[in-house]
Amino acid sequence: MSRRALRIYGVFFYLFLYFPLLVMFAFSFNNASRNVVWRGFTFKWYARLLHDTELLWALATSLKLAVAAAAVASFLGLLASYVLARHRRFRGRGFYAGLFNLPLMIPEIVMGVGLLSFFAKARIPLTFWTLAASHALIALPYTIGTIRGRLLLLKDSRLEEAAMDLGATEWATFLKVTLPLAWPSIVAGALLAFTVSFEDFVTTFFVAGVGVVTMPIKIYSMMKFGVTPEINALAVCLLIFAALALGLNQLSSSGRAIESDAGPA
Amino acid sequence: MEPAVRDAGVEGERTSRAPGKRSWDEPLSWLVVGRTPLASHLLLSPASLWVLVLLVSPVTLLTLLSFAKIGAYGRILWSFSLANFGQIMRPAYLWVIGRTLVYAGATALICLLLGFPAAYYVAFAADSKRKHLLLFALMLPFWTSALVAIYCWLIVLGREGLINALMLRLGILSTPFSFLNTPFSVILGLVYFYLPYMVLPLYAALEKIPRTLIEASHDLGAGGLKTFLRVILPLSWPGVASGAILIFVPCLGDFLTAEFLGGPRTYLLGNLIDNQFLAAQNWPLGAALTVLLMGMLMSGLYFYGRVEVEETSRV
Repeated sequence: MSRRALRIYGVFFYLFLYFPLLVMFAFSFNNASRNVVWRGFTFKWYARLLHDTELLWALATSLKLAVAAAAVASFLGLLASYVLARHRRFRGRGFYAGLFNLPLMIPEIVMGVGLLSFFAKARIPLTFWTLAASHALIALPYTIGTIRGRLLLLKDSRLEEAAMDLGATEWATFLKVTLPLAWPSIVAGALLAFTVSFEDFVTTFFVAGVGVVTMPIKIYSMMKFGVTPEINALAVCLLIFAALALGLNQLSSSGRAIESDAGPA
Repeated sequence: MEPAVRDAGVEGERTSRAPGKRSWDEPLSWLVVGRTPLASHLLLSPASLWVLVLLVSPVTLLTLLSFAKIGAYGRILWSFSLANFGQIMRPAYLWVIGRTLVYAGATALICLLLGFPAAYYVAFAADSKRKHLLLFALMLPFWTSALVAIYCWLIVLGREGLINALMLRLGILSTPFSFLNTPFSVILGLVYFYLPYMVLPLYAALEKIPRTLIEASHDLGAGGLKTFLRVILPLSWPGVASGAILIFVPCLGDFLTAEFLGGPRTYLLGNLIDNQFLAAQNWPLGAALTVLLMGMLMSGLYFYGRVEVEETSRV
């Protein structure tokens, strides 16, 4: 294959990926309520979003949920990845590593109906907190993956050994060397967990109780109602949010190397 | 400063307690360092309990539920009966299961055909500065909700959608044509959403191929096509396998795509499960369908594992 043919293919490939998104973007400014015929430029759909109280409630719920899920997933993920990356080898390590990967391998619909039956059988009412716990479960592999990668890098850098050789105690090494150096990955993992929770639909669809309406659930019910430019505007906002979160994540997880972090401040 | 009290232990393990430390340094340091396996298990327990309680036990419960019977008003009668699995074997269900397998397979195959040249382009033809941007652009639609991806295609393909509007205006069509509710629209939606799952592992596999290997192949007289077929393609095989499994498995459980871009004629296994749990309220039957889904997932992973073992034993 010639280079040129590949380039042309590359352009078409990315056009295919972005064409529907561009259509959606364009029609979010269209001054017509149903047809996709262009009737002039308007911001009214975005303005309408700001006045949709139900939608704003859903946004608030989603944000609270994502913060709770990210906090839990980061804490659990930090503990788990610290042990997996730094403790001496022990029996059962492989079992734990496999266990923490399960939420990634099992299709979400299975988790959704499984959690629904589990909460029903255990007679636990479906509330905000059961949903937050479920979201923390989905986000856990992401925080573990991010933090563990960083801790393994840190092990190679031998900075902790140096700290101990210089007389720092185990706790001091952990608190003053390991934790600060792992911090960017904890932030990156939390951000990833936040995004995973914020965008989750399938599990939420099954586990959210009657009173809990998240943003994706709200979008789902709007879509059930029909195509309106208001959804376009909303989807554009979500797209921008995803771009920001993804960009931030890449910056905080891969931007700086261990060595430059450890340089004189 | 104090002298270094630490022996040159293995893996940062300390063998002696340093004298004269501040008192808050000492307690629980065995936990931090993981001096005993107990410490490791203890620190792992919150995360593992989370997964055991919220994932392993629900899946076990579903398995038990799939043998239960349904009573009046959706009540569950615990028993050991294979009635639910018998019901799944009826033609109406078998059709849907077959369709799901075909759609998932077709999606993986189309993603491979569309994604391979794209991954090849990013790995070999794009300059390194642009590479980051291209990978970022690839991941962005993947990070937006599946709902958004589906919604986009509703605008494009719908009866009042972009393509219909254009074709009506150009006079190609006289009445709007429904592109939705067809196998085409559902597979298109699946391909669109799952494409990055194929391109990213393919890119990772292609990126790993040493450039010197390709040069060597050229030096030894192999042409572009021969190098591609004999060097690049075999070495990208792990990427193909993981991309295929990453697409095939979630496609089996997908229900949003068929719900919006398709209809009852294109419903997939995920739609059946959704329907049994939420609309029909027949949880045992829904659980049996879920167990079937997990069975297909596990056989997929088994084949993937075998491919991987073969690969590693060959290298």
